[in-house]
Amino acid sequence: MTVLEIGRLLRSNTTGCVVGCRVTDLDVPVFGGMVRIPLQGDQQIYGLIHDIRIDDDGLVRQLVTAAEITDEVILDNRLNRNVPAEVGVLFIGYEHGGVISHLVPPRPPLTLDRIYSCTPEESCRFTSAGRFGYFRHILRAADLPVPELLAAHLQQAGADQNHCGDPGWLSAATRELIILLRDDYPVLMAVLGSISDMQISA
Amino acid sequence: MMTTNPLDTHSSQPIGYIVGGSLKDSFRVRLTISPQEVQEGSFVVIESGGWLFYGLVTDLQLGSTDPRFADEQTEERLPAGVAQLLHGQTLYTTLEVLPALMLERGPDPASPDYPEWAQAHPEPNPHPLPVKTVPVHHAPVYLAEAQHVAEVFGEPGQEGNFILGYTREQRLPVCIDLAKFVQRSSGIFGATGTGKSFLTRVILAGLIHYNKASVLVFDMHNEYGFNDTSSDTHESVIGLKTKFASRVSVVGLGRGSSIRGQQPDFHLEISERDIRPEDIEMLTRELDLKETTPTTLDALTHTFGSNWYHEFKNMEVGTVIENEDGKKTPAPGSVAFWANSVGVNVMAAEGLHNKLRRLFNCDYIVETPAADSIKQVIETLTAGRHVFLSFGDYESDLDYLLVTNLLTRRIRAEWEKRTNSFRTHGEQEPRPLVIVLEEAHKLLNREMASQTAFSTIAREMRKYYVTLLVIDQRPSQIYDEVMSQLGTRISGWLGDDADISAVLSGLAGRDSLRGMLARLQPKEEVLLLGWGVPMPLPIRSRRYDARFWEELLKNQRNNSQEDILKALGF
Repeated sequence: MTVLEIGRLLRSNTTGCVVGCRVTDLDVPVFGGMVRIPLQGDQQIYGLIHDIRIDDDGLVRQLVTAAEITDEVILDNRLNRNVPAEVGVLFIGYEHGGVISHLVPPRPPLTLDRIYSCTPEESCRFTSAGRFGYFRHILRAADLPVPELLAAHLQQAGADQNHCGDPGWLSAATRELIILLRDDYPVLMAVLGSISDMQISA
Repeated sequence: MMTTNPLDTHSSQPIGYIVGGSLKDSFRVRLTISPQEVQEGSFVVIESGGWLFYGLVTDLQLGSTDPRFADEQTEERLPAGVAQLLHGQTLYTTLEVLPALMLERGPDPASPDYPEWAQAHPEPNPHPLPVKTVPVHHAPVYLAEAQHVAEVFGEPGQEGNFILGYTREQRLPVCIDLAKFVQRSSGIFGATGTGKSFLTRVILAGLIHYNKASVLVFDMHNEYGFNDTSSDTHESVIGLKTKFASRVSVVGLGRGSSIRGQQPDFHLEISERDIRPEDIEMLTRELDLKETTPTTLDALTHTFGSNWYHEFKNMEVGTVIENEDGKKTPAPGSVAFWANSVGVNVMAAEGLHNKLRRLFNCDYIVETPAADSIKQVIETLTAGRHVFLSFGDYESDLDYLLVTNLLTRRIRAEWEKRTNSFRTHGEQEPRPLVIVLEEAHKLLNREMASQTAFSTIAREMRKYYVTLLVIDQRPSQIYDEVMSQLGTRISGWLGDDADISAVLSGLAGRDSLRGMLARLQPKEEVLLLGWGVPMPLPIRSRRYDARFWEELLKNQRNNSQEDILKALGF
């Protein structure tokens, strides 16, 4: 199992957190990807990446107006910049004593806690537990791009489940979303429209 | 020993689950299979706790959680798999199920509650009861299987259970209880060409084979006794006399009459003395009689007693003689002479005589019959045999109305006498009699019902062991009071709203059944209704063919062999 660290926690609350990471490490976190944040003891929080932000710093503001920027300058700016890339994470559940729960974690992680990208096995373990209870956290996040986030999550989790030998997971998840959203025609059609555009690798 | 779990009543998967409803209306079932796998009229079973509910699908409705899901053809926008999932959750079919019966099955035998329940319910075969409560939400619904049909309609093969047809989807045999069938009057209805005659043959064969009641058939069109040819297929149709030779007597109306070229067992002649004034009054519409008729008839019976018909028939009309003053006066022996002598209006009397001329010309009404053939008919019936009265060439309504009413009146009196003797003096119990009446609306319409013996039979004669089996294509023409007394109603397709209403009158859930009746297939499908059947059910009626006879007479042959062996001392 390859453990891929994304970064360290900048700030958090009970529903989500923001993680700081190097811009050069941005090939690991992806939109809709699942992450985990180990806490003290045998607890860890699971989350979904819903935002990746790269803010400017003073040097960039000066550089973007320069006529020519060499590759060395660009590389230097990315390696040595003072402002980290920020990754927004929505909490979707936690694990305590080996038992996975799709409830909001009892307390948020602390600053500088390490955040890791979930492996396919970890992803399967979390998404197979219960009956998709974590979907409600995503659907409730009105200020997030819910259809796109769901489609991205299903695409990645579906591929992970295929990898773990459960090709029926994606249909079950889609059916559950339809049940949850069948009284909200616009949102459901937007979600299904996004799902229709995704590609699942076997 | 393994214990059979009475709750394990299904080998198949549920077709849906209860989502609502009430006793007054219907149960609503969310269908979980394709709507094409369930049809209107399907017999379904609902499992709820320790109870089984039996019902009938009366409607299928397409629905959606939001009308926009139904309006938009999402299968064109979304991948097939996603569209299928969406349709599965947002588009659905709801069944309306008319609740009919319920049966307590008790808890699971493996559960600790079962011994206590079993002790409180010692009866081995509990019977379904009229539905009095509702199943719980989400109770699973199944298509009925053979055991359920047998629980409700009886086990085929048991004595008295006669297979009348088969359920439409699964082709499961549906029986009627012939013992119950003959206890009350019954009706077979359907528009022309829907197979009433064939169904009647099937039922008559069942009754004759069952042999617990005698049958008197007024065979107006000579189609039940001897072999006939189907008017639709032009194929030969076996007559009941052919199959039940010794048990059936075919009686021809009139001396020397032949039925389809064959000689009947005996002929029926009516004595002039048997005709009563009420027989004539019953023909008021047929003969276009005037309001003065009852007065004239009353005077005739007052003058001549029971010989009034003969005397009146032999009177002359218009003959006059000159008296001593040279004035012309009615001749003795003329209608006018008699009318003057008793103070009856001459014109009225002569008019009645003129209109009765059609009766006077009937060959089967004679002064002195060769034998008392009406008595012979009664004796045949009381001896446990069956009589098919064929009208031969006398196919007019006048013949039918007069003969059926007159004969039935005598039979009714005889059965009343026998019943009273049985109840008062403990004599032999009368054998139940079923009178089969074709074109029943001619005798049981609002106008005629009060004048004929048939309405009395429909209303009261159950106590005297006589019931009717009426066959008609216009049930709306039959008097409501008579229709309400028909215990078992078997109806083929009906197109007229009034006819449908008449067949369904007095039945629970008639609004739900109305559409079902109108949508029966024009042939070979009938709806069973009424007191004589445990619940309404559309069935594919049994075909009257060689296979039918083979199945029906198979038992008889077996019995005969047993009887023979028994007689030989084995």
